[in-house]
Amino acid sequence: MLRYVTRRILMLIGIIFIISIGSFYLIHLLPGNITVVIEGPGASPANQAKLFKLLGLNKPIYVQYFVWIKNVLSGNLGTSFISQTSVVSTIRAAFPIDLEIMVLSQVLAFAAAIPLAMRSARKPDGPLDRVLSAGSFTLLSVPPFVIIVLMVLYFAIKLAIPNIGPSSYVSFSQDWITNLESLSLPAITLAIGSFVLYFRVLRSDLIATLQEEFITMARSKGISQRRIMWRHAFRPSSVALLGAAGINIGGLLAGGFVVQYLLSIPGLGYTLISAINQSDYLLVQGIVLVVAVGVVLINFTFDFIINLVDPRISRE
Amino acid sequence: MSNESEKLLIVNNLATTFSTAGGPLPAVSGVSFEMLRNETIGIVGESGSGKTVLSRTIMGLQPRTNVVVTGSVLLNGNEMVGASEDFKRGLWGTEVAMVFQDPMTSLNPVMRIGKQIDESLRVRLGMSKVDAKARAIELLELVGIPSPAHRYSAYPGQLSGGMRQRVVIAIALACSPKLLMADEPTTGLDVTIQAQILNLLDELKERLHMSVVLVTHDLGVVATRTSRIIVMYAGRIVEIGDTRDVFHHHRMPYTRALLESSPKVSNASHTRLTTIPGRPPNLLKLSDGCSFAPRCSYATDRCHNERPELQPADEPAHSFACWNPLPTTRGASA
Repeated sequence: MLRYVTRRILMLIGIIFIISIGSFYLIHLLPGNITVVIEGPGASPANQAKLFKLLGLNKPIYVQYFVWIKNVLSGNLGTSFISQTSVVSTIRAAFPIDLEIMVLSQVLAFAAAIPLAMRSARKPDGPLDRVLSAGSFTLLSVPPFVIIVLMVLYFAIKLAIPNIGPSSYVSFSQDWITNLESLSLPAITLAIGSFVLYFRVLRSDLIATLQEEFITMARSKGISQRRIMWRHAFRPSSVALLGAAGINIGGLLAGGFVVQYLLSIPGLGYTLISAINQSDYLLVQGIVLVVAVGVVLINFTFDFIINLVDPRISRE
Repeated sequence: MSNESEKLLIVNNLATTFSTAGGPLPAVSGVSFEMLRNETIGIVGESGSGKTVLSRTIMGLQPRTNVVVTGSVLLNGNEMVGASEDFKRGLWGTEVAMVFQDPMTSLNPVMRIGKQIDESLRVRLGMSKVDAKARAIELLELVGIPSPAHRYSAYPGQLSGGMRQRVVIAIALACSPKLLMADEPTTGLDVTIQAQILNLLDELKERLHMSVVLVTHDLGVVATRTSRIIVMYAGRIVEIGDTRDVFHHHRMPYTRALLESSPKVSNASHTRLTTIPGRPPNLLKLSDGCSFAPRCSYATDRCHNERPELQPADEPAHSFACWNPLPTTRGASA
């Protein structure tokens, strides 16, 4: 187990190194001259050259990388040329919102998917299973940006429920009830996609697990069906679920962007899209780096949980 | 002969039929027998003869859908056929328990073996966590697992096949069942381990005053360990009797064919092993006659068209189902 974790951590460091190169190089791939962005279109070539040198852009690219990574590691992602605020402080303000939406949506998705998958798997092709399978398949084919628009139209506009529509975001510390209300539609929207994925993955694995001999064995002990489902069937069936969740949650960080933008919720997604529109390169770079590292860390965490759930994996 | 309270198990005209895409599949038909307390009975037959389905049906452990069970199974006075899952659940573990065939698949791979043993103790017997753990370690010791306290927290994958089967036995014994169904308990194991496991079952049976149903395709396994043998073919009993009688005075050609196809130490080396030609019949397409007739060298027209019922042999409690039985080996003296 220890060896496995060490190996995974080394791999993780390698992956994060590659990500850092990627997000560093991203800036250099962007079209246009950064000095024009900073000084405005009217700047003289002499001034531009001066700034070019001041920013260290005349140095070899690997030197630039080392200067940059040193700053990143000491928690400095630079200061935005546009807003003149530190990138780290902008990200620090926005990130908790993403985290909150993610946690809310995942709690909803798991709370619905696990018990429903268990009921479905007990009688495959029974009435409940058919309804849920067909329903989840329908939901799967509707993208989140359509769901959020429909929900806003219906709940926020037609039913006129307060605090759930666009631009109603209030921070958690300011008023937590309004905060939860304002994040409810994005959380539900993202939960729907996750629910469909988790329900389908868990259902099919449970059906396969319930055919196993050790389930008949558990039944022969005279323990309840409920206990068989939770204690014997759920754990061996949850490996694929956790793998899917790891990838899905990573994807949610990115997928939630559109939903945030549509509702003007100032999370990382909204901030990123605004930064792109304003050519705020350093902020874009910072967010890309943070999100990419976040995705990798989430996947690592889920791999680790899978290991705890199924001890056969690290042994093999 | 024996009064009712000595009978642990009374099976009467039991039939298990699966509904399949190809039509009803009679896996077990017309099975009747009785079993006394502290008796060990052997059920033998080829793969697909219905042994496993029979043992599971006796326990009421058949699948919950697509299966019809008729007849009667009285287990210590409890009717198992048609009983609700809740009712049967109250008997499983305490009245009857099963040792499964393949220890590689019958243990939960992601649950520590100790937890798999003390689950029964806690749920069924209501033991406290501490007591259940102590008892589980005792059980591991009872089935001959070295350093049981240490093994308690092992996962099945960390144990050998023989050790796993010992764990399966420990689970079956946890709630001291009166009847132990051992479904090919040694099929998945090395020959040397097989003997160990069978001896262990024998020893435990004596110590714990259990009755055992030993299901196997290996006649060598049942020869010395059972008092009676049931020979099954195509879901039916074709011969039943005391072990001695089935081995030495069998009348059904199938029983003889089975016996002849087991290797014997007394055979000269390089003796060709006798085999039974053909394969067991497709249970979806059974004829009206004797199911063994197509493979039987004694078969006549009657065998193909009319099913023989069990009829008594010369010995008490010995019956066979055959129109052209082998001559009785008791000869003129009987």
